Amino acid sequence: MTTATVVPVRPIRAPLETERGTFAMRLVILTESFLFISLFASYFMLENNKDRWRIEELPKLNFAIPMLVVLIVSSVVLRWGELQVRKQRYRAGRMALALTILIGFGFLTLQAFEYRTHWEHLTPYTDSYGSIFYTITTFHAAHVIVGLLMLAYVLVLPRYAAARESPYRPFHVAAMYWHFVDVVWIFVVAILYIGPHL
Amino acid sequence: MSAGTNAVQQRLQEIWETPKTVHGWFATVDHKGIGHRYLATAFIFLIIGGVEALIMRIQLARSDQSWLTPETYNQLFTMHGMTMIFWYAAPILSGFANYLIPLMIGARDMAYPRLNAFSYWTFVLSGILLYVSAFMGQSPHGGWFAYAPYTSLRYSPGYGMDFYALALIFLTISTTVGAINFIVSIFRLRAPGMTISRMPLFLYSTLTISFAILISLPALTVDCVFLELDRRWGTHFFDSRLGGEPLLWQQLFWFFGHPWVYVVFLPATGMASMIIPVFSRRPIVGYPYVAISTVLTGVVGFGVWLHHMFAVGMSDMAMSFFSAGSMTISIFSAVQVFCWIATIWKGRPVPTAAMHFAMGFLALLVIGGLNGIFTAIIPVDWQVHDTYFVVAHLHYVLIGANVFPVFAAFHYWLPKMTGRMLDERLGKWSFWVMFVGFNLAFFPMHLAGLGGMPRRIYTYPAGLGLDGLNMTATIGAFVFGTGILLSVINFFRSQHVGVIAGKNPWNADSLEWETDSPPAPYATVHIPTVISRHPLWDDHDEQDDPNNERVLDEGRETLSTTWLDAEPQSIMKMPEDTISPLLVALALMMLFVALIFQWMWVALAGIGSTLFATYYWLWPRPEEELA
Repeated sequence: MTTATVVPVRPIRAPLETERGTFAMRLVILTESFLFISLFASYFMLENNKDRWRIEELPKLNFAIPMLVVLIVSSVVLRWGELQVRKQRYRAGRMALALTILIGFGFLTLQAFEYRTHWEHLTPYTDSYGSIFYTITTFHAAHVIVGLLMLAYVLVLPRYAAARESPYRPFHVAAMYWHFVDVVWIFVVAILYIGPHL
Repeated sequence: MSAGTNAVQQRLQEIWETPKTVHGWFATVDHKGIGHRYLATAFIFLIIGGVEALIMRIQLARSDQSWLTPETYNQLFTMHGMTMIFWYAAPILSGFANYLIPLMIGARDMAYPRLNAFSYWTFVLSGILLYVSAFMGQSPHGGWFAYAPYTSLRYSPGYGMDFYALALIFLTISTTVGAINFIVSIFRLRAPGMTISRMPLFLYSTLTISFAILISLPALTVDCVFLELDRRWGTHFFDSRLGGEPLLWQQLFWFFGHPWVYVVFLPATGMASMIIPVFSRRPIVGYPYVAISTVLTGVVGFGVWLHHMFAVGMSDMAMSFFSAGSMTISIFSAVQVFCWIATIWKGRPVPTAAMHFAMGFLALLVIGGLNGIFTAIIPVDWQVHDTYFVVAHLHYVLIGANVFPVFAAFHYWLPKMTGRMLDERLGKWSFWVMFVGFNLAFFPMHLAGLGGMPRRIYTYPAGLGLDGLNMTATIGAFVFGTGILLSVINFFRSQHVGVIAGKNPWNADSLEWETDSPPAPYATVHIPTVISRHPLWDDHDEQDDPNNERVLDEGRETLSTTWLDAEPQSIMKMPEDTISPLLVALALMMLFVALIFQWMWVALAGIGSTLFATYYWLWPRPEEELA
């Protein structure tokens, strides 16, 4: 065994590790993807019995498509803000973050209107189609809410603490989740809203 | 050892030690403490599940008994299955992984220590939640796989199946965050030089099952959500009158369920791959083949789930595909088995108690694998489906390939954890009693199954030729229980009279034996370096660090390395002890209890407090600024 001769001992400083959040978020996104894959697989499996699958009225696209546009715009804004934060333009970054959150609320408002018109001819209690339709869209809305909570947390995050010298990392991690939630909505629109028209 | 080293040791001790106070007990994030708790809690669940099994065996010992009512019997076998599969088999492996992985890779803790504590608290609280149902006399009664529509409110009134669905969703949170923690720890915290091709094989199996968990577990969550929505919220997922599909439950459940079999099996093989070479006094034969077949078992394990459903009526194409997939799996297991046999053959085996258990595991795995191939063949499966043949098969696999390796691991690693050796003679006695009892209990079940005895029946009529077989099985079950009791006695006895273990009592090769027994809170003074697959068997000095570059004594820190080549990359700051994981877990507990009983305002309060506790957890502390 070697003997330590110098007291106090100081190691050569390697840079501080900053990517732990990113790793965890990647794995969260992996497992959440399979959550939605399971949901979509259930949709297809229920659809497979066409004689018992009653879509009396095809789902309208008048809300779904604008909601898609809204989410894509929010992702673009957030990405722009992320680049600003990386360049240490924190003010612009925070503004983009606040704007994204506002747009996210816009999405949820549209979702509420969508549900209100949809509810007139389809409820979760109607049949298995209604059950799976509302379950998938509600799961997505819940993920939007979680995403908003993450973004709100980053927005109010103070900028102290050595490991968080720049708010870029938390910003990046929350943004990853938000982009994931947006991508899920693309699949929801394709499978639940456009699919039955084809 | 110079005075300088002692001062460093003292400083590291102060940095990493959790104070032994009540607050410290609830707040600790030390992987060793959490590992201990995981092991102890899971072992208690093993005892509970075992007692449930023995009660069932008493009922079945003779024909036409009515000691238990059918409903009680249904609740017992359901709780037995759930306890063993979800709250014992996987968590006990998490316990070993929690305790050993940071030591094996030369890190000072897991990558996310607080998440680790959270994983433990949610595990134990979900188990408590499940057993609340037993005290209400309304345990789940639909079998551990709870087929819909039997489990819908119409056929299963009461709260039993609600406990089932929500306790499982609660548990999936624990398992998922645990899996994330293992993956990142293994990929990013390995000691410098421990490249991916030098990892101990236990890490390969834990890595494989962690990915399998992340991919398969959401299916169970979705399934339980559907069940709960159907039961209490008026939807129609499994209700065929309104377009529902009863088979949807089975598809989702087994898409999760079969990979789960590997989740409770692969880490056990990984432990065997650590133990057998040490007691054969040579490196394992075919390291790369064992590693690759471990990973492939996890991958192909996703292509076999339909073999649980051969009897429901599917296309020949689908059944043939999954039958072939199921047989393919046996190739990978066979590769591992042959590697272990070759290791023993080419080595100089030392018949310790741990080695006895490992050899017993080999024998039982082969039997369980072979009767598994029987059930993978479709016509045979139709014949034995839902009979005691399947009960025999699954117990040969789960006890043979989980309980026996776990006991091998206890005999092997407990000296590291407690600092005291177990008694070898008592250990071998325990092994032989368990081994004989196990075969006495479960081998006759093959015959009972072939003789037509169905599973999940609370009694059977006399004169069918089943009486003798069942009596034998009951006697065997009690003998098996006695064997386990011997090991428990051995453990408590060793704490008082056991020989002091020292650093490396088995002359083993992996890094955890570099630490003291029991390990110091900081593990080793210098983060070790590695140049071969068997760090303690080569000439390299792991602690050689003349400039003290790898001491890291400026706070809780550990070294992060690149994921493939394990080159030092950065220093990872580790969190201090905190009770916020416990607070979040308690808030979630409130939410799940409220959901079971439909207390909507309490549920909202549960969501709110989860949120606040999470923000409290994540909020950066001003004192971190000083670090």
